[in-house]
Formats: sequence, structure tokens, C-alpha cells
Amino acid sequence: MTGLGLLLLVMGAAIFGPFLAPYDPQAFHPAVRLQGPSAAHWLGTDQFGRDLLSRLLNGAPSTVFFGLGATLLGVGAGSMIGVIAGTAGGWVDSVIMRILDGLLAVPELLFTLLIVTFLGGGMGQAMLAVAIAFTPGMARIARSSVLSIRTREYVLAAVARGEPSHYIVLREVLPNAVGPIIVEATIRVAFAIMIGATLGFLGLGAQPPSTEWGLMVAEARQFMFRNAWTVAVPGVAIAMAAMGFNLFGDALRDSLDPRRSH
Amino acid sequence: MSFYDIPRRSALLGMALALAVPTLGAAQGDPKMGGTLKISHSTRIATLNVLSLSGPAEYPVIDMAYSGLTRIGPDSQPMPDLAESWEGSADATEFTFHLREGVTFHDGTPATASDVVATYEAILNPDIPASAASVLNMIDSVEAVDDLTVKFSLKTPFADFPTSTAHANARIMSEEALAGDHAMLETVVNGTGPFKMESYDSARITRLVRNDDYFIEGKPYLDAVEMHLFPDLAAETTNFLSGDIDVMLLVQQADYERISSAPGVNALRVPSGRYVNVVMRFDQEPFNDLRVREALAYAIDRQLLVDLVLEGLGRPAHDNILSPEFRFRIDTPEKNYDPERAKALLAEAGYPDGLKLDLVASNRPAIRAQVAIAIKQMALPAGFDINVETMPHDTYLANVWRKGGFYMAYWGMQPTEDATFNLLLTSNASYEDTGWANEEFDALVQAGRSTTIESERADAYTKAQELMLAELPYIIAFYEDVLTASREKVQGYTLNPINRYFYLENVWLDE
Repeated sequence: MTGLGLLLLVMGAAIFGPFLAPYDPQAFHPAVRLQGPSAAHWLGTDQFGRDLLSRLLNGAPSTVFFGLGATLLGVGAGSMIGVIAGTAGGWVDSVIMRILDGLLAVPELLFTLLIVTFLGGGMGQAMLAVAIAFTPGMARIARSSVLSIRTREYVLAAVARGEPSHYIVLREVLPNAVGPIIVEATIRVAFAIMIGATLGFLGLGAQPPSTEWGLMVAEARQFMFRNAWTVAVPGVAIAMAAMGFNLFGDALRDSLDPRRSH
Repeated sequence: MSFYDIPRRSALLGMALALAVPTLGAAQGDPKMGGTLKISHSTRIATLNVLSLSGPAEYPVIDMAYSGLTRIGPDSQPMPDLAESWEGSADATEFTFHLREGVTFHDGTPATASDVVATYEAILNPDIPASAASVLNMIDSVEAVDDLTVKFSLKTPFADFPTSTAHANARIMSEEALAGDHAMLETVVNGTGPFKMESYDSARITRLVRNDDYFIEGKPYLDAVEMHLFPDLAAETTNFLSGDIDVMLLVQQADYERISSAPGVNALRVPSGRYVNVVMRFDQEPFNDLRVREALAYAIDRQLLVDLVLEGLGRPAHDNILSPEFRFRIDTPEKNYDPERAKALLAEAGYPDGLKLDLVASNRPAIRAQVAIAIKQMALPAGFDINVETMPHDTYLANVWRKGGFYMAYWGMQPTEDATFNLLLTSNASYEDTGWANEEFDALVQAGRSTTIESERADAYTKAQELMLAELPYIIAFYEDVLTASREKVQGYTLNPINRYFYLENVWLDE
């Protein structure tokens, strides 16, 4: 329930945030720079006197949709590869899975950094990098789901009926393998948000004057001792978004897991 | 000058001009020998190749390890280094430098006129990348008259020549090292400076130890100097404030107040000519129109920029590339923030509905993007719709620097008017990036360097500045102060506004 609540809050901010912002997120208010919360600026102001609440709300879409987009891409590619490997079996399966095992050996954040170094910085590149880093793990999960379903009677029946293989994969295997994939994807959104914020913080993701939350932390860091709010506000927001998806993913797994639900 | 210089001076009497090193640090009592000074820095010491290095933390290392013919003193005038005296011919086309006797490199080989000749030949060799080449290109020939005398003949008269020989990248290297593989210069140091290299680890600590054979008797005072790399600024500040580090080489503006008010700390703020400039290329639309450049100049609130970006630790500038520290700098008319006037100028230039522009700022250091974002906001009411495009520094260097039409640059202070103009603004400047190519300006800069008569030089540089201010090749909104800090026990530590000379042989620890 906590997860769902946080998730709704974060998604609400992501969808409606930019319209709710009380100030222009880029506008300067030099007279009130680096101030804590006040009636005029609920969460305080940064180096240029920009309103932190407005910046936070404005940055919500890029932060949250980054996580969703990267996960969707990674899940899509990973599932496809996993399903192909699982269905085809034999040497195709062996080759694909050994390559993916190799890639899995590299930690996801490190892998993302490597890819970003190749692709160059920027929001789009960072999203693609996270998606690529997610692909091997997702492929492995999709493949194991497929393997457990491939030998079920209804699949064998479809084979016996002489259905074409794309029909079998799309209509018989995939819909029944999708549960674990969705659960895993939801939890991965949390990681994607964290990695996106990390890249923004390191200067490899979103670039100024974007209001992406990781970048906000990076820009505020030098003023940490002058006004801790500048770091705390986006920091807590990132934590809330990641936790929301993570708790929601856990809850989803509990309700979808047949061993737990009975 | 602090009084502890006096006994040493009398010991070395007869040395014209020598050793008049004023130290700004409050020296108390006689200097004590010994101790290790720990300096923190936040940028890598990527190379030790004197000819081409340019890193902020690389300069103190070569300032300790090498000597030049001359050196810039804290008063911004050339002072003796390896050369104990020099004289120029009346027409300023011939300069003779007299080297100190008995000086040896750290490996024990004597430093003589042939090493000086080899060094300058390397700098002037077009096949060798050398940062000092552009300020020394007036040299026609350099010859060793005898072991201790070097004579330079210049193509054109050049009054500031002893300042040029003090260039931080014109330190004297051994003939042997220069004849060998230049890749070795990246890591192997053999100089004549007060400290010699003990260990060099570009990712962690670089340690130099006392050169017992340093040519100034009794100096340096310290046994060793360690350069500690802290890639994380917060960690650097914390280590300095906790007392683990004695000198914080560069203090960030955001931290200055906190550090200067901490107990046991001397914070030093040196007004400097360092600046962030907006490059607007003359050969690209729309900046080929002077009115557009002027419009942008009036669309910037310079004092506000100093307050927001520099935390007030700087001075507003009004597009003069020369800061008040320069001898021939003219009084510069102030440009006040006037969006209406900017709007009118834009309309006159044919943009009554405003102008949409992409301003590129590299992401390193952060000040470039900060100034760009501030300019974007300030220029909005004037009708400028500026989109700030930030990018990794390497991408910027490869694709935008000296090519793009509208971007943020960032430069340190140069030692002379001539060096400043020839770095960026003349047609054949080292890093020419405006496309201005103004023959009249070139001629004025040339005139300023080729006479020793003070009034003629002042006249030429005045006209050059007036022309620059009229044509507006750059927008320069502020001069940034150089900020550094040391623990109270550190005595005799000072900085030069150019931030290339550190005088660490004068530093001692009162503990």
C-alpha cells in the first residue's frame, strides 16, 4: 500500500508536475537565493534563487519517464532475446545465453557507464545505455519462464496441431510467461531511476539547465553547507520515486506468485 | 619584503636586482627548517612535460622542480631565476642573460648556457608543441656566448622580453633530456628548482623533496612537498579543514566564506584577470553584425553575475580583456544592464522580434554553464531566446572550440598586454577564435611590442583597447579572483594573480 501511495504521488508529479509548479523553474530570484523553506518558496531556493519546488515538479517527468522508458526498452529487447533463446533451444540457445552470461558479469552501473562513454552524454544516450545494460538480465528471466512453459501440454498441443512457430511463441508462450517479466520490470524501474539520477549527477545524463533530479543534486552539491535543502530536496525525491516502484514491484510479485497466493 | 631575506641577501651580495621577493604571508620570527607541506588539488597532474602542460595542479609542480631564465614575482614584474642579471640593447632587439655560476640539475650535471639554448630551440621548433612559443616567436636566434652567457637576437624590438622568458612553460630543461625521447618528459623531471621529484603518481600523490644544491643558499626551508589529489571537492575541503592538508591550492567560491571563517585558517583572495568570455564569431550570422554583439553586451547584468556565480568574489568587467592589474590598461566605460537598449539594437540589426540562439557551454568547469544559464535568463527581456547547450569538455574541444559561432570560453590571466592579445585576438594569435582578423588591431599590438619608449607603448595599447571595445570581439562580464587557503602554521605562502608561480621555496612551517 505504501508502495502504491508513493507510486501514485510520483506518477502524479510526473504527469501534472510541470502544470502545478508555482514559479517558472528557470526564473531567477536573486534576492532570496539559497534560502530554506518559506511561505513564498515551500522548499527553498537554489544558487540563482530558483524555486526548488518548481524545479522538482518540472524535473519529475524527465526523471520518472527516463526510468520507465529505459526499462521498457530493456525489457522489450531482453524478453525478445530470451523468448527466442528459450523457444529455439539447442545451439542457438547456448550461443545467445553464453554471450549474455558474459555481459551479466559486468555490474549494471559500470556497464551503463561504459556504454555512455561510447555513445556520449545526454538524456537519450543514457536511456539507451540503461536499456542495453538491462537486456541480459531480462533475457535470462524471460528465457527461464519460456523454458518452464515450453513443455506444458497446451504448447505441445499447439505444436501437434501444426501451428506456425510465431503463433506458438506469441499466442501460447508469451502471454503465460509475462507475469515474472512484469514483476521484474517494475522493480527495475526503480534501478533505472537511480542509474539515471546517477548519470545526471556525474554529468553524463541530463545537462544543465535541465531540472532532472540527479543533475539538481550535482549542481547543489557545492552549496550543501550553505543550504542543505538544495541537495536534500531532489535527493529525497529520487529516493521516494525509487522506493515507490520497488515496493510496488514487491507487492505485485506477492500477488502474482502462485506459491504465495494460495 | 620580509626581513628574513636580508641575511641571505648579504650572503649573495653583488647580485643585481636579485631576490627581492616580497612575501605577503605574515612571517613571524626566523624561518624554521624542515617539515613536509601537504597541498591539496582537485585536478589531475596529467603530465610533467614543461613544454606543453597546462593543468592548474601541474604548474606548482614545475614551479618547484624547474627554473626559468627569469620568473614573474608576486609584484608581477620579472625577477631573476636561473639568470642572475640581464641587459637589453637600447633598441630592445638584443638581450643578454648572465646565468648563475655552479648551478646543477637534480641529476648533478651542470646547468649551462647550452641547456638554455637547447630549451629555447625546442620551444621555437614548429614540430614540437610548446605553449610558450607564441610569446617567444620574436626570437631570431639564441646563442651561448660562453658557459654562463646567453644572447638572444630578436626579429623585432620587444621591450617585455624578460617577462616572456619568465613564461611558466619556458623552464630550462637539460640539453640531454631534450635530445632524448620527448615522451620521457611526461614523467621524468630533471630541473634546477628548489625541489626534486621523488615520486609521481598522477592519480594520487606527487611528492617532491628538498634540493640540497638549490642555487639560493639556505632555501628551500621545507624537507618535502606533497601534492594530494582530491577529485571530490567536498572531500578536499573536509580534509583541509580537519588539518590533514596544509594548503588548499584552489578554493571554490561557494566554500570561501566557510573556509575563511574556520579557525586556524588563512584564506587568501587575490584579484586576478581570469575571466569567462562569450565568443561570438565575426564570420558567422548573426554575430557578424556589431549591433547584435552590442545588444547582448547590454543584456547582461554584470554585478548580478558576480554575485550569483562568483559569490561576490570578483569584479564586474566591461568587455576589456585587460583587468586593472595591467600596466597599460585604460579606464573602461561601464556597460549597465539595459534590456531596452539591447532590444532597440536588435531591432536596428533586423531582429525586431528577438533572436533565437544556441549557446554552447562545456561542462567543465561548471562555471561555464553557470554563466551561460545566467546570461540566458538576463537576456530574455532583451529579446534573446538563448538555448544553452552543455556538452562534455572533450566533445566541446573537438567540435565547438575555435569553430562554433557562439560559446563560452574560460581563460586565466596572462603576464603582459602583448601575451593577452596574442593569445586570442590578433590574426595569428595562438588560440585565435573570433574570426576578427583586424589589421589595424594587429598593427597596434605590433607597435606596442616593438618600442621601449613607455609613452609610445601606452599610446599603442590604448588605441588597441579602444578598438577592441568598439568592435567587441568578446563579451567579458567579470574578472574572477584567485582563491586559496593555508593553515595558520604555513608561513610565507603567497600567490601571483597569474596563478602560475607559487614561490614554495619561501614557505616554512611554524610548528
